Amino acid sequence: MCKDIIGFWGYPHPDIIQKAKDEYKNALWIDLDINYGYKSSKITPDAYCGIIKNIFDNAYFLKDRLIKILAGVGKDKCDAGFFAAHMLKKEGFEVEISYFEDAKPLSSLPDLPICTSNLPLKEKIEKITLNIIENKDYSHLEKSKPRFGFWGVPPNDLKILDLFPNDTHIFGWTRCVEAKNPANVELEMFVQEDLPTVFFAQTFCQKTLLAKYLAAKYNGLYIDIDCIPTNSAYAKIEAFLRLR
Amino acid sequence: MTNSKFYIDAGTTWSKILEIQPDGKRVYSVHKTAVARTFEHNYIKVTGHTTNKFAKNYENEVVALALGSKKYLEDDFVALDLGSRDIKWVKYKNSKFSDMDWNSSCASATGATIEMLLKFYDVKVEQLKFSEEKYPITCGIFGLEKIMDDVSKGLEPSVAISKFIHGIAFNAYNFTKNPKKICISGGFCENPCFIESLKNYCEVLPLGRFVLVDGLALQE
Repeated sequence: MCKDIIGFWGYPHPDIIQKAKDEYKNALWIDLDINYGYKSSKITPDAYCGIIKNIFDNAYFLKDRLIKILAGVGKDKCDAGFFAAHMLKKEGFEVEISYFEDAKPLSSLPDLPICTSNLPLKEKIEKITLNIIENKDYSHLEKSKPRFGFWGVPPNDLKILDLFPNDTHIFGWTRCVEAKNPANVELEMFVQEDLPTVFFAQTFCQKTLLAKYLAAKYNGLYIDIDCIPTNSAYAKIEAFLRLR
Repeated sequence: MTNSKFYIDAGTTWSKILEIQPDGKRVYSVHKTAVARTFEHNYIKVTGHTTNKFAKNYENEVVALALGSKKYLEDDFVALDLGSRDIKWVKYKNSKFSDMDWNSSCASATGATIEMLLKFYDVKVEQLKFSEEKYPITCGIFGLEKIMDDVSKGLEPSVAISKFIHGIAFNAYNFTKNPKKICISGGFCENPCFIESLKNYCEVLPLGRFVLVDGLALQE
């Protein structure tokens, strides 16, 4: 089978992305963080972050087609990303380690047209993650006045995003990604005071700590969801959005 | 009668129905859910575990609880609905909805467990007296094991069940983040042992079994 895919997770450093784009002009880029429904690699413990499970499941399923993996392993991702990169290397994958840890002052960050737009929340998040590689200009998007906030990483199951109205603005790590500053903890912890915000983290992710802290501080809703949201998770979000 | 408006909170075991008659008179009733299913009312709004969550007239249970209990809530007070199989609560602050939680599939042990225990040991709810002692029932199954152990050692089943209920009350108090006052909704309002147990930790105001249907009717 021909090798035609470059896999990546997190937000690899733009220089590393550009180098791979130049070297493999026709490669297909696949975000290994995303759940494509491939069969389980059974590498991780059962009680483990769903996103890291996706990385292993996707990598093993696509193994024969993967040219290489660009692996975010620094403060821009997490320790589990660091371990995953080293494990996959040991298992014969071509893995290029990436640290993208430069954090700019908030005042010097670019505008965030996707996070603040009136697009459906799911579309916003899809555009932001696709833009890690596509690097398109979205400055034409019209800004919306926010009614709700969504704080967190792109969820394993994007269906919960359908519950939110279009005038939901994005905060947390996803906002950092649009700002091309994925390790900027000051930006990650920035929220708009008085904006009713859902603070989401994947169950078993270290970011649950931040999410719970910020939800308590800003009177938002803290919610952690494992691979598939339960009815209770849907109902909590729905109730929060209806009642606030 | 045909012009009455009907609202239903169809729980796992019991269904609570509110009928608002054309002259505004409100008639409340409770039925086994299996029986309520045979009724041919056109419900204006429905909620509860056994209703179709995709129906147009379905309302989220937490929303129904929040709306139905709002008039009772002041700062730092919460409304708690403890059902057959789930537990949910809401809190208002300065008249604004501020916090909530819902454990929809395992609340360690809830109404259905108590009903089964009462039947199994042939104990009436009136026989249950508040017990200073409680079982730690982070897991309901472990709690049941403790009841069986103690009963086999000679403890009166009614006392063992009371200790179990005290454990549920303690769990409810912790699940609601230790408020000053809890307004209770649901079948546990009719269980004095539970109310007395909960009073050990905070003020308690029983609201009855019809808070959710009242919340549904408020939306009209």
